Amino acid sequence: MIFRNCFVCSVSLLVLATSSAHAAMVHVPNDHAPRFLTVAANEAAKGAETFIDSMGQRAIGFLGNDSMSRTQKEREFRTLLRNSFDLKTIGRFSLGQYWKSANDAQRKEYQSLFEDLVVNVYSQRFDDYKGQALKVKGSRSEGAKDTIVNTAIVDGSGTEFKVDWRVRYKDGSYKIVDVIIEGVSMSLTQRSDFSSVIQRGGGSIDVLIAHLKGQQ
Amino acid sequence: MIMPSQNFTEQKIKVSFLSIGMALLLGACSTTAADGDYAAMDPMESVNRGVFAVNEAVDEAFLEPVAVTYQAVTPKGIRLGLRNFLRNLRSPIDLGNQILQGDVEGAANQTARTVINTLAGFGGLVDVAEMGGIPYEPEDFGQTLAVWGVGSGPYMVLPLLGPSSVRDSAGLLVDTVADPLRLYLFNIHEEGWHYGRVAAGVVDKREELLSVISDLRKNSFDYYAAIRSAYFQNREALINDQDEELTSGPEIPDYDTY
Repeated sequence: MIFRNCFVCSVSLLVLATSSAHAAMVHVPNDHAPRFLTVAANEAAKGAETFIDSMGQRAIGFLGNDSMSRTQKEREFRTLLRNSFDLKTIGRFSLGQYWKSANDAQRKEYQSLFEDLVVNVYSQRFDDYKGQALKVKGSRSEGAKDTIVNTAIVDGSGTEFKVDWRVRYKDGSYKIVDVIIEGVSMSLTQRSDFSSVIQRGGGSIDVLIAHLKGQQ
Repeated sequence: MIMPSQNFTEQKIKVSFLSIGMALLLGACSTTAADGDYAAMDPMESVNRGVFAVNEAVDEAFLEPVAVTYQAVTPKGIRLGLRNFLRNLRSPIDLGNQILQGDVEGAANQTARTVINTLAGFGGLVDVAEMGGIPYEPEDFGQTLAVWGVGSGPYMVLPLLGPSSVRDSAGLLVDTVADPLRLYLFNIHEEGWHYGRVAAGVVDKREELLSVISDLRKNSFDYYAAIRSAYFQNREALINDQDEELTSGPEIPDYDTY
């Protein structure tokens, strides 16, 4: 409410938080959650924040590096994308109900084309880079393996653009499985797009594969 | 001659009848599509696709170029100031809907924002309240109807206005008719200011969405379906603004085969 949000309070909170910024930002889970679970969830959430933060640092490191050529930057970006996103999970999710009806060969071809699509789509964005920074704002555990990391992309004038990342801890590493902007999930929107293409094309996954091939 | 106050009361009565009627009409059809297949919520798809195509043509020929020019020639600070100012003008609508939704904290925050930004933010040009930790929460009557339990009803693409639903179109109508600032400007016969404000709002919104829309246009195979999905997801997030667990996208299963 008004008093909680007042200036003086925010400023003093900021001062208090600077020494332990990350600890303060981690969402405190409900009291009724078992203690051991709380600790584990907190650690996972912290790890996910660090993961997103270092991904941002790495991206900015080469995006803002004027001594690198465009091709070099693009190659770096593709590597970063492949290492940071769980493209197989996103790919399968995006195919939705049609995954079941696809045979092994179709699944394999689809997954490889999907990876190329995502890498192509996100690679285009590195041209838009104008000195923005990625700021981790906080995080919250979701289920057993996922953490939602809240970030803001801040540009030179201080304008913030909020982006949430769904990060999954699996097999000893963190991977992004969804990007959410203004409540709009990129993975779900991708699924809607694909499902419409397949439905309007008569229900066969081959129609989608043809579209994916055409994209290249 | 109609007295201004009388006119206002009349409008209010009409509005409440309309909203009750709409609530009854839509109460029965509540749908969600967590699996991303929003086609089921679009029984008028062929009509909608037609309107969508016209809107696209108008956007590409007129609105998008205007927004691009506006972005190019106006310094960022001025654009931000205009956005803040337009938001501040919306205060009565935002506040009214917070109250109708029974969101006491939201209503208190909205009131604080209006007072702080109008007085300390040069009539709303600077969002001082946001800097102090009270961010803007857009509210409209479509969201209020949703909080009251009214389902979205079928998807609708409105001519020029774009993606909507039966519920949200009704909400937009109510917000427009009941907007105190519009009523005031009409009563003092300064309709021009009202339309100017609407036009500024449209250009501001389009400018805000420039990169998002061009991204989606370029990167989706069925742009219509992608926009429809994004519309429903965004509305869902706005309706659930108090509950952050409901605004973080769908659950992504942990598959064991790919």
